Amino acid sequence: MSAERCAHDAGCITCGDAATRTRVLEMDAARRLAVCVDADGRRETVDLGIVDAVAPGDALLVHAGTALHHEPASEDAHRGDGMEVPA
Amino acid sequence: MRFAQEFRDGELGRALAAELPALVAPGRTYKLMEVCGGHTHAIYRYGLESMLPEGVELVHGPGCPVCVLPMGRVDDAVAIAQRSEVILTCFGDMLRVPGSHGSLLEAKARGADVRMVYSPLDALRIAAENPEREVVFFAIGFETTAPSTALTLKRARADGVRNFSCVCNHVTIEPPLRALLDSPELELDGFIGPGHVATVIGAQPFQFIPREYGKPIAVSGFEPLDVLQSIQMLLAQLAAGRCEVEIQYRRVVSWEGNPRALAAMEEVFAPREHFEWRGLGSIPDSALRISDAYADLDAERRFQLPGVQIADPRECQCGEVLRGTIKPWECRVFGTACTPERAIGACMVSPEGACAAYYSYGRYAREREVV
Repeated sequence: MSAERCAHDAGCITCGDAATRTRVLEMDAARRLAVCVDADGRRETVDLGIVDAVAPGDALLVHAGTALHHEPASEDAHRGDGMEVPA
Repeated sequence: MRFAQEFRDGELGRALAAELPALVAPGRTYKLMEVCGGHTHAIYRYGLESMLPEGVELVHGPGCPVCVLPMGRVDDAVAIAQRSEVILTCFGDMLRVPGSHGSLLEAKARGADVRMVYSPLDALRIAAENPEREVVFFAIGFETTAPSTALTLKRARADGVRNFSCVCNHVTIEPPLRALLDSPELELDGFIGPGHVATVIGAQPFQFIPREYGKPIAVSGFEPLDVLQSIQMLLAQLAAGRCEVEIQYRRVVSWEGNPRALAAMEEVFAPREHFEWRGLGSIPDSALRISDAYADLDAERRFQLPGVQIADPRECQCGEVLRGTIKPWECRVFGTACTPERAIGACMVSPEGACAAYYSYGRYAREREVV
């Protein structure tokens, strides 16, 4: 894990009460985990324990490896965000 | 998803800033506190202070969990890390926070197995991969981060990972805000409220601010337009004689918060009677410990910790910065003995700390331009 991996822009995600937008690529529904990608192409495993009914392609707001907020792909107006979208 | 670029539009920002002077009474001063380190960072990074009308002052609050952690807790972390059987894991900024016997990074240089993780899940994975070692996660953060720790401890229990435990330093936002509001040395007019904390706990818990203290609060996002709009909402409330909780960060924050996150926290954590805050002293019921139901995963019960209270270095004025009674550059060691490369105080360690943010983005522009 590199120092920049902990960073959101120039700050620390945890310390700044910040969150990163990611998109869901794959899911392990039984374990409530997802592999997500952010706008810079970085992938991470995300805990889905506190959000509902996530599907591949949905957008998540992630803080310290946990999804805080879920926006279904159907409500996601901005697709031109540079993040991968699963086929 | 509407979270970033569209909230950094310079044209919109200038248009929004141009509306602010009309909301300000001539000759009156307005002290607005941004609670979160992320807000502080955005304010300095995007030069928002220079866009505010004369008389509007931003006071930097205690919202960076690294900055408020006292030296004694760092010493506890170092003591655990020095045990040969332990892999100590923590978030990146925690590594450089000075304790009385050095930082975790210095402990690592002396041979301790200290690893930076991005999430508690990473720490749990390290535990699963190293069954012969004790893996300890040094948890910090407000209510935004606490659900991650809670979910990970539940996962450790469910997966039967017995070599994993956690030192819980999670803190809660209401008690320090009350302590600040009760402080006679700080007169505030309103709060730019913590957006992602409110994602978890909701905006409702902040009602005590208008009800009991007669101050407005706008729960704010973290992009420059979010912060500017929150300032506009606060000034509009003050101009109209209103005093309410308003949610600026509506795309994420609800009134009630996230019930699943709150339930996980309720199950895994219990209130801690006393917790020492750097600069604010001991505040009752301001932090969380691991509940008795999860005692087997509590590193504070698994290991012997020094648990000593250590006074901050005399030359450091982090406490006054955190209480908002001095600006970062007014500290006697700011930018000289204390820099991000060699920090004396925690506010200079984290990029979200007021001193580090000011050092990085504002140290050459102390005289504020007036719009």
